[in-house]
Amino acid sequence: MKETLKVHFQFSPMAIRILLLSLCLSNLYASSSAVASSSQTATHTNNWAVLVCTSRFWFNYRHMANTLSLYRTVKRLGIPDERIILMLADDMACNARNKYPAQVFNNENHRLNLYGDNVEVDYRGYEVTVENFLRVLTGRHETAVPRSKRLLSDEGSHILLYMTGHGGEEFLKFQDSEELQSHDLADAVKQMKEKGRFKELLIMVDTCQAATLFSQLHSPGVLAIGSSLKGENSYSHHLDSDVGVSVVDRFTFYTLAFFERLNMYDNASLNSLFSSYNPSLLMSTAYYRTDLFPRRLEQVPVTNFFGSVMETIHTDRPYRARKRKESQDRIRMPLKEAVQDNQQRRLSDPEIEVRRVQAPEDSIGRTWNSLQNKMKIFEYPETFVYYGLVMMLPLLAVSTWLYS
Amino acid sequence: MAETSEISEQKAELEKGFDPNTMRKTKPGVKRLALTLSVLFSFLLGFPFLWKSIEIYRAPLPFKDIDSLSERITSNPLQFPCGFQAIFVGFGSKTYEELSRLEYSIFNRMTGLTSKRTQCGSCSSNFSVSVTFDSDSSCTQNGHNPASYHCGEIKNVDFNADDEVVDDELEFVLGRSYSKGKKWYTVIVVNRDKMIKVAIGKYRHAWIVGSVSEEEAALRISEIFTKVFMNGGNEEDVIHGEFMPVGADGKIILSFNLLNADPQDWIYDWDFDRIEETMLSPVLEALGHIANISVESQVLYHTPKSSFSHWDDERGAHIFSVGDLPFFVNSNEWHLDTSVTAGGRSKILHFAVYIPSAKECPLLLQVPDGDISETNGFISPMWGGIIVWSPPNCSRDTESNYQTCRKISSHDLQMIYEVFMGQLRQLFGLTSHNLFIGRSGGAIKLASEKGFTEWELDFLSRQHACSNLHSCSTTLSSLSRLVQSLPRMIIMEEIGKQVEFSLEAAKQAESDASLGIFYSSAGSSRQARSLAEDAFFHPSIMSVSYYSFEHCFAVYSPFFLPVSLHVILAALREWKRYKQEKTKYLTWVTKSNAAAS
Repeated sequence: MKETLKVHFQFSPMAIRILLLSLCLSNLYASSSAVASSSQTATHTNNWAVLVCTSRFWFNYRHMANTLSLYRTVKRLGIPDERIILMLADDMACNARNKYPAQVFNNENHRLNLYGDNVEVDYRGYEVTVENFLRVLTGRHETAVPRSKRLLSDEGSHILLYMTGHGGEEFLKFQDSEELQSHDLADAVKQMKEKGRFKELLIMVDTCQAATLFSQLHSPGVLAIGSSLKGENSYSHHLDSDVGVSVVDRFTFYTLAFFERLNMYDNASLNSLFSSYNPSLLMSTAYYRTDLFPRRLEQVPVTNFFGSVMETIHTDRPYRARKRKESQDRIRMPLKEAVQDNQQRRLSDPEIEVRRVQAPEDSIGRTWNSLQNKMKIFEYPETFVYYGLVMMLPLLAVSTWLYS
Repeated sequence: MAETSEISEQKAELEKGFDPNTMRKTKPGVKRLALTLSVLFSFLLGFPFLWKSIEIYRAPLPFKDIDSLSERITSNPLQFPCGFQAIFVGFGSKTYEELSRLEYSIFNRMTGLTSKRTQCGSCSSNFSVSVTFDSDSSCTQNGHNPASYHCGEIKNVDFNADDEVVDDELEFVLGRSYSKGKKWYTVIVVNRDKMIKVAIGKYRHAWIVGSVSEEEAALRISEIFTKVFMNGGNEEDVIHGEFMPVGADGKIILSFNLLNADPQDWIYDWDFDRIEETMLSPVLEALGHIANISVESQVLYHTPKSSFSHWDDERGAHIFSVGDLPFFVNSNEWHLDTSVTAGGRSKILHFAVYIPSAKECPLLLQVPDGDISETNGFISPMWGGIIVWSPPNCSRDTESNYQTCRKISSHDLQMIYEVFMGQLRQLFGLTSHNLFIGRSGGAIKLASEKGFTEWELDFLSRQHACSNLHSCSTTLSSLSRLVQSLPRMIIMEEIGKQVEFSLEAAKQAESDASLGIFYSSAGSSRQARSLAEDAFFHPSIMSVSYYSFEHCFAVYSPFFLPVSLHVILAALREWKRYKQEKTKYLTWVTKSNAAAS
């Protein structure tokens, strides 16, 4: 039972460009290499994962299953929930057509319910947009966005970015309504690098023509792997006749098969993962781009991206301050002074704070007030329109005089 | 008659030469031309208004100031001035020459020790040394000595007493003399017939008591000045990477967790309020200028660890080794990050006490050399620390299934707190050894109740001020590059203000640094960094949400393109017609003139 879904989206690239233009960004940061070099020295301290399923609708069941399977894998290998940003564009588990309510499977044997307990979806349904995706990557959120929805990585972070959905040449479709272009992705990555938001980044994409999505990437420390080359499609693995749709894509299926054999103590290298893809099983050619990545793939354990191994340092001794009784009264004076000193210093901080908050409010508030005052002169908006019409009369008179 | 006939003859002649296709007799009218041109002109006049009205608001950013800031920061890293003074007591009277020779020798030794590293935020290139000889009979002091130590004051201090007492007395004596402005680091050498004893206090001074020669004292003094007071007492190999666990908004949240691995066996509670009130609050106050720190605590149940341990008969305990530590934290079961007050860019440091279940109690950590760890704890940089605390007797009460809540005794809590402090210091990159071992000999380091001694706080302030300023300048310059490369991007007024205030705070931090006011320099630099980050991460800067010139053209061209084309075409046509008619008239005029003459 093999289903082959061919997906072609032929949009005129000009039309998309008009809507999502940020091309000019790409020639940015020519001189940023000096800044970036300082973050190269940082040690690897933590792992993050951003897992994105970009497509809606029931027949795209397999994309949600792909993403959830990856989510389970990275969690099993040690990345905690608070460091995983999970974006699911639709909720198949609660779809009316789902024969198994509240359950999602990635295999027709139905042995593993991917949507069991402890699944923390950070962005769901219509929240999964290109804008939100780019906001997550670049970190430009509204202040009200909670920590769990933010990618709080630093210059010592390794980030896994996994995306699945329908794509085409140099774009990935979100929600059947908008596109993420390859240069949008490259810009976001560039800005992340600029601000020291990652040390190393692995981008893994399972779509048709996935390799084209990486063409614009130029930031160092980025490793990219896609399921198919330009002109190739990514196919689904098998159809589940109970569920009625295909439940997993080939590339993700064989990725998961590789990880099933691993636990978090394993030392398998990225190279062994990449060489495990068999083009005849995949029915497409997995493409990896390594020219931006500084290390040799044989020496990079997969747990560097798909798991989280904490760097730890033993605490060799406690900090013990001696209790003293007899000298209490003597030190009281200098201590008190120190406290006062501290309080004074504290005071200066809120002052700056207040100044900073009030200044913009003042200017905006003033103009708003004056505008409101002016508006009060015209009791009704109609009067305003009448004035305008009367003003047009002399213009009319002049033009008729010229004609006559 | 003849005249009239002549005229009519001429007329007829002219009429004969008149070609209505190429000539005209009347002047062409300018009415139509004037009308179309006035319409075109009004269009052109209106164009700047339209351009102005669809203009994008861009708050003016001080690009020049940003560039000059980053240039300053990169070309000469922030250096603080530090003052060091040595007071020799009981060395007899000395001449000025001897004194300045000693000053010079200490200074040289110190430059020798510091020249290897020109670290940002240190005072290795800008320090002064002054020496005072204070004896019963005389007092030799450099005339231009700015340290303003008053001779004879030190005599009241009894160096035989307990170290803590000596330290406080010295602070009382010396603190008066440097009450304002720049703080001086002092080493007091007391010459006496005793074993040499070196102690480093918890304020800004150290003392050497015993029979030492001036040369030996100079050696020890220069080492204490450079290794301890300048570099925070760290060996170079202890710190690797940057240990700056402060969020980009200058906030740290210390989250204290008590983890009951299996509540079926026992449930422990702690009196955290007492820790917070009595022990933690002075620490937070001491670190106040480095970061804005708040504290949270929680007790969690059902939190098994995810690494394995094995039973050791000899020790009668379950053992886990340092190699297991990376897998100790069970991130799926430990829900530590539950803070609601934490902002997006604050840093949360987790401190966890892990209470093992009955089947792995007691649980001990084995260090690589085979010993059992003194603290039973470890840290993960930028994340926090964990302590394993095994209940006093590992027997599970079988009689009561639903046992009452037990409390960790206050003695144990004190021990736990001490390990926490050690871990917090480790996270900031400081060691907790109570001995300083230098090349010229060891020294006792006194520990402060505030968790950090004043000279350590000075060191942290200097380090943080420097790296805050560095991060502020890189953030601002990448913002300015971004803004300059995108001419159609809206820059909100708020961003402009944030950049302005950030630069102001950075300037303040620099001037404070040059004056040697470490704490306020650290505070302003923190402000500068946080404002710069706010500006850079402002949600309005988003490549999808601003609109490009093409977009603008696409929006307005349907309104104006059809009309403006017509207007321009009409004007051109009228102009052409007018020129044509004019040439016609001119040919007629020349012709008639020729005929007349």
